[in-house]
Amino acid sequence: MTMNTNPHDAFAKKILDRIEGEHLAPRPRWEFEARNAAFWSLGALAVLLGALASAALLFEIANAGWLYSAATHANFALFLLQVAPFLWFLVLALFTGLGYANIRHTKRGYRYSITLILLGAVLMSMTLGTALFLGGFGEEIEEAIGDHPPFYRPIMATERSFWQDPADGLIAGTVTSVAADLSSFVLQDFTGRSWIIDTEDLDQNGLAAAARGGEVRVVTVPSTGTSTLHACFVIPWQKYGESHAMPLPRPLASFATTSEINRYPARSEICKGIRPYASLRAMSGI
Amino acid sequence: MPPELTDEEIVRRALRDKEEFAHLIERYEAKLSRYLERLGLASKEDREDVLQNAFIKAYRNLNSFDPELAFSSWMYRITHNEAMSFFRARRARPSVVLDEASEGLLLEIRDESADASSTASFRLDSTELARALAELPERYRDVLALRYFEDRSYTDISDILEVPVGTVSTMIHRAKRSLRETLANRISL
Repeated sequence: MTMNTNPHDAFAKKILDRIEGEHLAPRPRWEFEARNAAFWSLGALAVLLGALASAALLFEIANAGWLYSAATHANFALFLLQVAPFLWFLVLALFTGLGYANIRHTKRGYRYSITLILLGAVLMSMTLGTALFLGGFGEEIEEAIGDHPPFYRPIMATERSFWQDPADGLIAGTVTSVAADLSSFVLQDFTGRSWIIDTEDLDQNGLAAAARGGEVRVVTVPSTGTSTLHACFVIPWQKYGESHAMPLPRPLASFATTSEINRYPARSEICKGIRPYASLRAMSGI
Repeated sequence: MPPELTDEEIVRRALRDKEEFAHLIERYEAKLSRYLERLGLASKEDREDVLQNAFIKAYRNLNSFDPELAFSSWMYRITHNEAMSFFRARRARPSVVLDEASEGLLLEIRDESADASSTASFRLDSTELARALAELPERYRDVLALRYFEDRSYTDISDILEVPVGTVSTMIHRAKRSLRETLANRISL
């Protein structure tokens, strides 16, 4: 088919003359395709980085020590303020925003509503993040990235700091040795200091946790100026989101039922003076 | 001009031979010039400048044309963006001139206003409408011009303004409400 190339109207001719005079030519197709691919790639990268943030976020939520908040904090709001993963929420929001901005600039990105893109990006990040968390990468990501900002402390370090206060009856660390008659054990706390823990007042669960060894949390009668502590409860230190095991967090101790609390009677009354006794009794059954 | 060829076919040919691009210019020149006038470019010289730049930009970006879009929507988008750049560069406020195509909007506003007690019973003519349109925010004026003066579908407007179709619908609704309020205020003054 041949086209009519007879003289064009004056305006068309003017434009053709300008194209000719300025040696203009259509920009190559690959430039546009590369630009489009770059926006999609940056969008995907933002979702991927959002997934890393999600994995760290889930690790923090799972390991914030909700179960022990009644023991470590008199005020739940203060506990929440200290453990809420604000940084990771912020990072997730930032990458979701970046994902939106990039996808919006792809060739047909404008056709998707802002809600659809944002929701899609968050869902993809959360799904991938959950897979990473379940695969045991949450802690690595949280500590690798979280160690750098000066205003930020990884959740395990925060949680350990709550349990480094014998004056308030809270100590945690690794059981390094146990007396043959189970009357005491030696605990090396996370700063490296050793404590002798008297187990006289522990119930069966507490004794079993001490005998098993490993990392434990110990609620003691508050004391200062001594390296011997009187244990009221010993609870295994569980970490959620590790590659080899994925136990689900139990319900908050604060919400423990009466029957759950009564299932684990203490052996004597000596610990009853320490604060929130009911919650602690519920916890000792873990 | 070859009437038997679609815009998309001419685009393909223009990529091989720039002379073919002239057919697209001839097909859209008058239509786009009228659109620019409705957007508020009153001067013929300004319209020609903007249109010339728009066609040059279209030619340079011919390889980015997505055949899934209507060529007319793509060309309207480029022209619209050029017009907005022009207004921004000149810091000029558009002076809206209405023609017979404004009848649709005029009737719709008049009908809807008659039902609404708050803005009921004001006399409406195209001069008042033009003044009220000029007072509207740019995004509202754009969407009304495309819908009522250019008779574009919601999908076309979505492709021209690069916003989702749902947003077009919301913008048209808000633009009409804003226009009614502006008109009611003008009449009550």
